Amino acid sequence: MTDRNNTTKQNSFSLAPYLLQYKWHYAAGIAVLLLVDLASLYIPQFTGEIIDGLTDGTLTDAGALLAGIFAAGLTMTLGRFGWRFFIVGASRGIEYRLRNDMFAHLETLSARYYNSRKTGDLMAHFTNDLQAVRQACGMAVITAFDAVIMTLMVLVKMILYVSFRLTVFAFIPLTLVAVSCYFFGIESKKRHLKRQQAFSDLSDKVQESFAGIRVLKAFVQEEKDLASFDRASRNSMEKTLSAVKLWAVVNPFLDAVTGVSLLLTLVFGGRMVLDGQISIGQFVAFNSYIGMLVWPMIACGDSINAFTQAAAAFRRIAMIFQEKPDIIDLCPAPAQEGEAGMRLTGGIDIKDLTFTYPDGITPVLSHVSLRVEPGEMLGILARTGSGKSTLADLLLRVYDCEKGAILLDGAPIDEYPLAVLHRDIAYVPQDNFLFSDTLEENIAFGLEERIADHPDLRERIVQAAKDACIHDNIMEFPEGYRTLVGERGVTLSGGQKQRSAIARALLKDAAVLILDDSLSAVDTDTEEQILNNLLRIRKGKTTILIAHRISTLQQADHIAVLEEGKLTEYGTHRELLEAGGFYARICEKQRLEQELADAD
Amino acid sequence: MNKLTEDTTQSHYNGNALFRLLSYMKPYLGWFFLCLVLILALTGFDLYRPMLIGDAIDLFEAEGNYSVITDTAVKYSIVLLLSVIFNISQTWLLQKTGQRIIFTIRRELYVHIQSLSSRYFDLTPVGKLVTRVTNDVEALNEMYSGILVRLFRNIVKIAGLAAIMLLLDWQLALISFLLLPVVCVLTVVFRQIARKTYRLSRTRLTDLNTFLSENISGMRIIQIFGREKRKFEEFDDKSRKLYQAYYREMMVFAVFRPIIYLLSVISLMIVLGVGSREVLDSAISIGTLYIFAQYIQSFFDPIQELAEQFSTLQSSLASAEKIFAVLDEDSCVREAEEPVLLPRILGRIEFSHVWFAYDGENYVLRDVSFLIEPGRRVAFVGATGAGKTSILNLIGRYYDIQKGSITIDGVDIRLLDKKQLRSAIGQMQQDVFIFEGTVESNIRLYDSEITREEVKAAAEYVNASAFIERLPHGYEEPVSERGASFSAGERQLLSFARTLAHKPSILVMDEATANIDTETELLIQQALEKLMEGRTTIMVAHRLSTIQHADCIMVMHKGKIREQGTHQELLARGGIYKKLYELQIRHETPT
Repeated sequence: MTDRNNTTKQNSFSLAPYLLQYKWHYAAGIAVLLLVDLASLYIPQFTGEIIDGLTDGTLTDAGALLAGIFAAGLTMTLGRFGWRFFIVGASRGIEYRLRNDMFAHLETLSARYYNSRKTGDLMAHFTNDLQAVRQACGMAVITAFDAVIMTLMVLVKMILYVSFRLTVFAFIPLTLVAVSCYFFGIESKKRHLKRQQAFSDLSDKVQESFAGIRVLKAFVQEEKDLASFDRASRNSMEKTLSAVKLWAVVNPFLDAVTGVSLLLTLVFGGRMVLDGQISIGQFVAFNSYIGMLVWPMIACGDSINAFTQAAAAFRRIAMIFQEKPDIIDLCPAPAQEGEAGMRLTGGIDIKDLTFTYPDGITPVLSHVSLRVEPGEMLGILARTGSGKSTLADLLLRVYDCEKGAILLDGAPIDEYPLAVLHRDIAYVPQDNFLFSDTLEENIAFGLEERIADHPDLRERIVQAAKDACIHDNIMEFPEGYRTLVGERGVTLSGGQKQRSAIARALLKDAAVLILDDSLSAVDTDTEEQILNNLLRIRKGKTTILIAHRISTLQQADHIAVLEEGKLTEYGTHRELLEAGGFYARICEKQRLEQELADAD
Repeated sequence: MNKLTEDTTQSHYNGNALFRLLSYMKPYLGWFFLCLVLILALTGFDLYRPMLIGDAIDLFEAEGNYSVITDTAVKYSIVLLLSVIFNISQTWLLQKTGQRIIFTIRRELYVHIQSLSSRYFDLTPVGKLVTRVTNDVEALNEMYSGILVRLFRNIVKIAGLAAIMLLLDWQLALISFLLLPVVCVLTVVFRQIARKTYRLSRTRLTDLNTFLSENISGMRIIQIFGREKRKFEEFDDKSRKLYQAYYREMMVFAVFRPIIYLLSVISLMIVLGVGSREVLDSAISIGTLYIFAQYIQSFFDPIQELAEQFSTLQSSLASAEKIFAVLDEDSCVREAEEPVLLPRILGRIEFSHVWFAYDGENYVLRDVSFLIEPGRRVAFVGATGAGKTSILNLIGRYYDIQKGSITIDGVDIRLLDKKQLRSAIGQMQQDVFIFEGTVESNIRLYDSEITREEVKAAAEYVNASAFIERLPHGYEEPVSERGASFSAGERQLLSFARTLAHKPSILVMDEATANIDTETELLIQQALEKLMEGRTTIMVAHRLSTIQHADCIMVMHKGKIREQGTHQELLARGGIYKKLYELQIRHETPT
């Protein structure tokens, strides 16, 4: 994977187009910065000239010089607003655009990509990495500019206005500031990360203990738990102190270096004043110039670090963009004209399907052949890990399988535009993912129309909810269908989530409906109701029902049994019972259990 | 929607948070005092340095002697060296004591939360408690090792600057101060605006991040339902709102910072303009003018820092108030003064006239009495909310009752040693909590006295060993609550092993209602049978098969025990139990 990335790194993704969009911002910002730096040189000079005028008694009216100071100050004030407005503003704009592009690209990537990445890691690209890039496009540009231009300008000014020799003496110690800030930045980052890690370990520890407090109390483990908390807490303290140790030394050190420069100025500059080589005014101005050099020196170290970090962050972001979507429309051009006319009727032909996950070794499905007629209801009995969800994934083209292994209405699945597949196949996933939105928006999630534009959708939503046996629950919520799901609204039970997801799929009224173990958290009564509704609504449409309860499956037209990726049995409920295989055994087991319960 | 507003938290705690925070400094008063002394000295040095140079300037003029330079240079070096040493020791000392205090407070809070009764945990989301122990305590660190001392430092500095300027030339000083009130007002106004914009961007950032994390996890569903475009529009909306908030934040700083700068330039102009006149009139020396020019610039930073520090102090106090509210929470189940330690708990349980409410007068148990002899199996049945689970919780004394008494082996549980009581009870909850660690550490929990053999034996005994040994690393398999890939049934078996390993004499069980696949279900039934052998067992049962094997069935209805007896007896009676039974049958029979 890294090989591929390396070869495409150069031409695939670059920050340049983003920067170019704001080229005038940067041009204006840099012009303004130059102006600010120039103006800032004159305040110490004018102050020095006033003092000189006072010393030799030539000054009668400071008015002109004061006006000069004011003009410089005003220029700087406006300029400082200007560079923030132009450069920082541009960096925020770039951040915004880059963020949107990242999200848009993520939307094109397939399950294979998401399976190998944690949500938290992807989030980090949007938070930390994006921030690093933004800072490099904003503040770091300013600090880098100051580091170079301001240093040069101040130095030139010191040499021209005061003395070359004195400048050399005073400047040498200051270079230490730049060097040490650079190393300090690296070390500080390192310690800061360790500190963050320790703190997040502590949070995890506390989170776990409080979530499991009932167990800890029941097993009387409070003291031992406290000991383990203490370890985490102490570790966090130590890591903090290790970061602090650095700050404790660095600030006084910077102060000391500046102090040494001032000391050298005092010793050598003082002699020059006494020898009449420079005036007192020049001496005073020189002192101010040294003060002005401290910031560019710090900026020098800082900006190098900011750019280094941003480069690393940018590489990580670029990795996202280099990731190519692997589930793509093979023939997107005709799709556009024909999408509306192209409809699935629900015939599914699976021919000798063998599938191994991209990162897997052993096949999850091997040599599965299965035929579903349009309008048929197929039940699949499967145990966990038997490849049932994989089958659903392949029918939805979450993954690609071998060409021709899955035919829809006689044509290979990948010859259909994705939009058609997603429109004509409804799906109830095993994990019942709902969004933090209202219940009606969640149920209408699969529709093209928006509720806001088509208020009459509400009736259909209610009907779908009734069919999925969730309507009554929804009506009990304070705001009915407008109740928010998730943290800011109600927390739904597993069964309620499942039924909402069923309603979401039913509302699409698609040619094919796949239910992946979608009734497991629903009680038997409700399950029966939903099944009856399904039989009624889905008449004439294809339905694939994956489950592990016989009661769920027995009414299907055909039932297939999947065991460890192989299709082992196929037939009607009655046929499979007579065959006396796995299906019959499970059926018997579940029946016996029932009888045991009914006994006495 | 705005979770960051602080007014919601104010009401909980009314004490003087600042005073209470300061009381934690008591053990370190000596160190703090030393820090203050160091800071006084440092501030003195800061003020002295420009004076040294200013004096030298005057002497250049007057005497024109090299010795002036040497003198000043020596003084300057000494001051510089001391500054460095004082500064390093001061920062280090302060951070170290600050961290120690934080450590202490965090520990105190943690211990206190541990001791709170289950009621508190029922009502408080875990996330909130975690924030108290982690982020809120962390926010206090700012106050102990930063704010307090820097506040002091800045106040001393401002006072020092003003005092010296007034002493040197009070008229010039007063004129120089002319703009300071404007700076103060502006700073305060700016703080307020900045805080508001900052809060807005925080809220929007949280909004965007929540959206992102949800949609990244749900990307599969978005794609399967072909909703990419609409989700992108939603994202763009949030993203743009965040951009606008940041832009506003940038503008606030872009306007304010330069304005303050302009004011400092104008101040300098005033000093130079008025001062140069005074120099010409020989009222002050050039050196004094130099000092004034330097000092007036030094005023600006401390004033702005002060404003910033006050607002940090405010948020520290807000955190402190939240922490103290938890610390003052008094819903502990207290240990008796002299707890009774029984040689061995046999498991004879008696409730007599027990009244219990989680809050106020809403009794969930009303005058409940029953007696369970050691080794008997008792099942509680009844509709949801009948009070079954409450009974289970009361036996382990996770709550204290309002009226009546609960005794174990004849001793009131309020007098019993809490540790002994809870160790004797094997409590099994519906949802099994998995701790970060290994399978083995989850069976043993923290108890190091349980040997590896015992862990294995326990797992073996309750039919858990088969699935454990199938794991790639067996008992060493790393597990965590979030990453757990165990099925509901496997979790149950694991909790059986955990309970058995701790050798309880009483079993208290809330049977899981979750669907468990048929094979595991059988394993669970067998394991349960073995677990109950020779132990007093009290359970809330849902499965008929479990209920029927109980020695006695108690039928709860609206907080009271309405019927009790064996399965047959109760069925014969044709009361509530019969109805429950018929309901259950209907539930479990397929059509």
